[in-house]
Amino acid sequence: MLPPASGTGKFYAKAAKSIRLIRQGCTNRPFFHISVTHRKRLNSQPVIEQLGSYDPMPNVHNEKLVALNLERIKYWLGKGAHVSPPVAELFGLAGFFPIHPRSYMNAWRNRKTTQENIAKQMEEEKAKETANL
Amino acid sequence: MFSNLLSLRGVAAIVNIFSRQTKLQRNVPNLTNFSTTSVACVNFFNKLPAEKLWKSVTSVSNAGAKKGRGKGAGRIRIRDLNRGQVIGIGRINMLWPGLSAPVIRGRELLKQQRLPDDPERMEKLTKLRDSMTKFRRLRLSPIERGWSGTRMPGRSIGPPDPIGEDEFVGFDTKVLQLRSLLIMKGNLGRTRNYQAMVVTGNGQGLAGFGLGKGKEAVAALRKAKNKAGQKLMHFEIYNGHTVFHDFYTAFGKTKIFVQKKNEGYGLRCHRAIKEICQAIGIKDLRAKLEGSNNLQNIVKAFFIGLLQQRTHQQLAEEKKLHLVEYRAENEYFPTVVASPSKVRTKEEILKDETLDFIQYVMDDRVILRKKKFPRFYEKMPHYKIYLKKYEKYRNHEKIRLMLKTEYGEVKSFLNDRYPEEKVESEA
Amino acid sequence: MTIFFRNLVQNNVKIILTRNSDSQLFTVSYRNLSILPSVYDGKEDPAPKFFSSNVQVLLRRLTRPDFAKVFRKRTNSGRDVLKTPSYKFLTDEELEAEIAKANKRADRLLQMPPIVKIHQPINEILSEDPALIGYDNVKYLFTDITFGVANAHRIIVERDPDGILRSSDHDIRKRLNQTYFPIKGRKLREPIMFTDKDRLNSLLESEKYEFVLDRACIQYEPDEPSYQKITSITYQHIDMNKNYDMLRSTRHFGPMAFYITWHQSIDNLMLELLQTSAVREAVLLTALRHEIHGDLANGEQVQALVHQILPTPIQLSKPDRLTEEDIELDNKCVECIEKYIVGNSAMKSQQELALQGFREYYQQMIELSRGLKKAHGNA
Repeated sequence: MLPPASGTGKFYAKAAKSIRLIRQGCTNRPFFHISVTHRKRLNSQPVIEQLGSYDPMPNVHNEKLVALNLERIKYWLGKGAHVSPPVAELFGLAGFFPIHPRSYMNAWRNRKTTQENIAKQMEEEKAKETANL
Repeated sequence: MFSNLLSLRGVAAIVNIFSRQTKLQRNVPNLTNFSTTSVACVNFFNKLPAEKLWKSVTSVSNAGAKKGRGKGAGRIRIRDLNRGQVIGIGRINMLWPGLSAPVIRGRELLKQQRLPDDPERMEKLTKLRDSMTKFRRLRLSPIERGWSGTRMPGRSIGPPDPIGEDEFVGFDTKVLQLRSLLIMKGNLGRTRNYQAMVVTGNGQGLAGFGLGKGKEAVAALRKAKNKAGQKLMHFEIYNGHTVFHDFYTAFGKTKIFVQKKNEGYGLRCHRAIKEICQAIGIKDLRAKLEGSNNLQNIVKAFFIGLLQQRTHQQLAEEKKLHLVEYRAENEYFPTVVASPSKVRTKEEILKDETLDFIQYVMDDRVILRKKKFPRFYEKMPHYKIYLKKYEKYRNHEKIRLMLKTEYGEVKSFLNDRYPEEKVESEA
Repeated sequence: MTIFFRNLVQNNVKIILTRNSDSQLFTVSYRNLSILPSVYDGKEDPAPKFFSSNVQVLLRRLTRPDFAKVFRKRTNSGRDVLKTPSYKFLTDEELEAEIAKANKRADRLLQMPPIVKIHQPINEILSEDPALIGYDNVKYLFTDITFGVANAHRIIVERDPDGILRSSDHDIRKRLNQTYFPIKGRKLREPIMFTDKDRLNSLLESEKYEFVLDRACIQYEPDEPSYQKITSITYQHIDMNKNYDMLRSTRHFGPMAFYITWHQSIDNLMLELLQTSAVREAVLLTALRHEIHGDLANGEQVQALVHQILPTPIQLSKPDRLTEEDIELDNKCVECIEKYIVGNSAMKSQQELALQGFREYYQQMIELSRGLKKAHGNA
């Protein structure tokens, strides 16, 4: 009953294509297919081809797994397929694309929040110490 | 004569007290009012014998019988009202030496005497009398029962009777058929005969079948069993579990296609063939019936087929070629099971000769394989919905098993990482 | 910022520590088994010697393949029920062709698991990007699932939380390959019979060597340390208990013979061969030793003898009658082994005793067969 990875969606040669994440999985358990489909098509509709998968939940070893069919991705990129930002970010992390600016932004934001949290902790400790004194 | 009559009188006196109906059955003259003048004490009950009276109660008119009356649960049955009654023992518990007790007990000569009464005697009698009125079906244990209910076919009736001092050790007989035959006779009208077909065997290659007829079912079975014991045949069993090769056999309009099978396949065939195989000791076989399914013909055809089997050596000699066996569990290693004395070369083989082993042993006959149609629900819309719905559960069983082997229960590594979640869900 | 860095570094150190401690734990856990596993991790690579045609021929011959055992009924072939056997009528030529085909299948069934050096850890950094630090606190693993790429050549990279993109190490590669391209019979988690020394020990004690070796072949790659440790323990157990016959006619005998020859401990096997009067195989074993180590005094003589032995049929059982050529060849073999015992053996007295026993038995055989020949010739 599962559609084959080669996809079952209708294919129009001249229509714009897009490589994007399509949520599979179920409630509380996200899992994404990296698929190529028409830009104007909904994510719930059959895709042209599945190009990989992305599991956003870390596994036992604390890793996120990404599978990419690089040969087919190159083919669709050559055909002028558009790449959605989340997919472009993954490609960037994989070293396939240059790092996406959004990855840098996220990294910077995360670093900043951790710094702020640490500063807050330090202050609280100091306050406690002064109070104790 | 008189003493005889007297004793009869005594009995009658006792019996009369119990039951009015007994009196009319016995038709004993009323000796208490013995006189020469005739008394008009003749009535409906003592005018007719018991048989006729019972008939008047139980009989159903011809038209009624046609409608099915007088059958089943509400049916009135003839009862033996004298059941449990013994001459010399009655309501008054008397000891009658020579009738209900010995005349001499030890060295003492017994005398007529009255014993204490048994107050429950009457109840016991009625209970015994009524116990026969209800019809009870015979209950058989699941091991004992045959193909269907309490009917005889498929049931075991033990080994054939010994002939002189030769006993049939290790034999068991199975009933294959027991039927009644109705024959018209000039003076007797329609008479009923029973015919039985049984198979007997020791499970180690010796088996035989027999046909017996008799006035009673038991007699027919006994005759058939003993006849089967007289006609034992020996069959070789391939590796102790199956036949030597596939074969086709027929008797009358019955055609049987028998296939050799691997160990552990079991017996998938007509129930009569299954019983025969069990009697012989064949454990794995498939048989397909075509044409008439007359049981006697099936049995005969199957026995003929078994007898006409050829050993591997015979087949190799017939073909003048090596016979080679391939087994999947041995990685299809070619094992030569039989070689002829002289092997033909490729040039000597005729152009249109059948070389395929199965085709050769089956006499160029092919088993009819009926087309398998999809189940009726597979085309219905709800089945597609069901498949879609249950797709996501398709691996759950496997995963639960894996988790159980890994953690001893159904849980994920996330349970250890977030123990508070589990506590919450339990609460 | 610095504290954050320290956190990260600590994390990484932990990962590295756990990685190293894993392999250490493994060896420690086997120390109680009283067998010390030794693996092919020295300077010399065993692969060129193992794959050289001379050694392969010797190993194959030492396996002593008996078709009755090679094509025995196997229960581990993935069949849950037996199949009905099939039959064919064959002429002489067709039968020969079928037997030739079966020989090829036997070759496949007897194909030896390769012996190679332990792999080196992969430590290749592809790019470093400090600006990505803190992007996520878990690793990202990227696998190229392009169709038709061999598992060994598949691109598998990881992006660490500190922004370094590196090629994944062998254990991760194996895990991801098994996740995306599962091999039948291989488990993601190591089976407990390999991780638990008591279980492995009980299996070895009950002499289920073939099962252990077969399963190890499926579960591991030949260049993995775990594979080599388990096979090494099994081979040593067999060698200690002289259970060589259990591995004969299987694909594991060659690697075992290679293993014990490589580690200079063929004396037990030699003794067994002499006791079962398989002198020709004993010569082949010395030849194998010469091929691998080249330390025999009469190396060239042995090699010449091997060329004579190889064309003779495999002796599955003791021969009934001897021809003059057989006698000549066997006498040469005995001479060779004498020299070996004097020069290289570590169990001289026992092996000499066994050889003496063989000589006496052989003398009887010679007399018997010569007498028979005379009788037949006269008649």
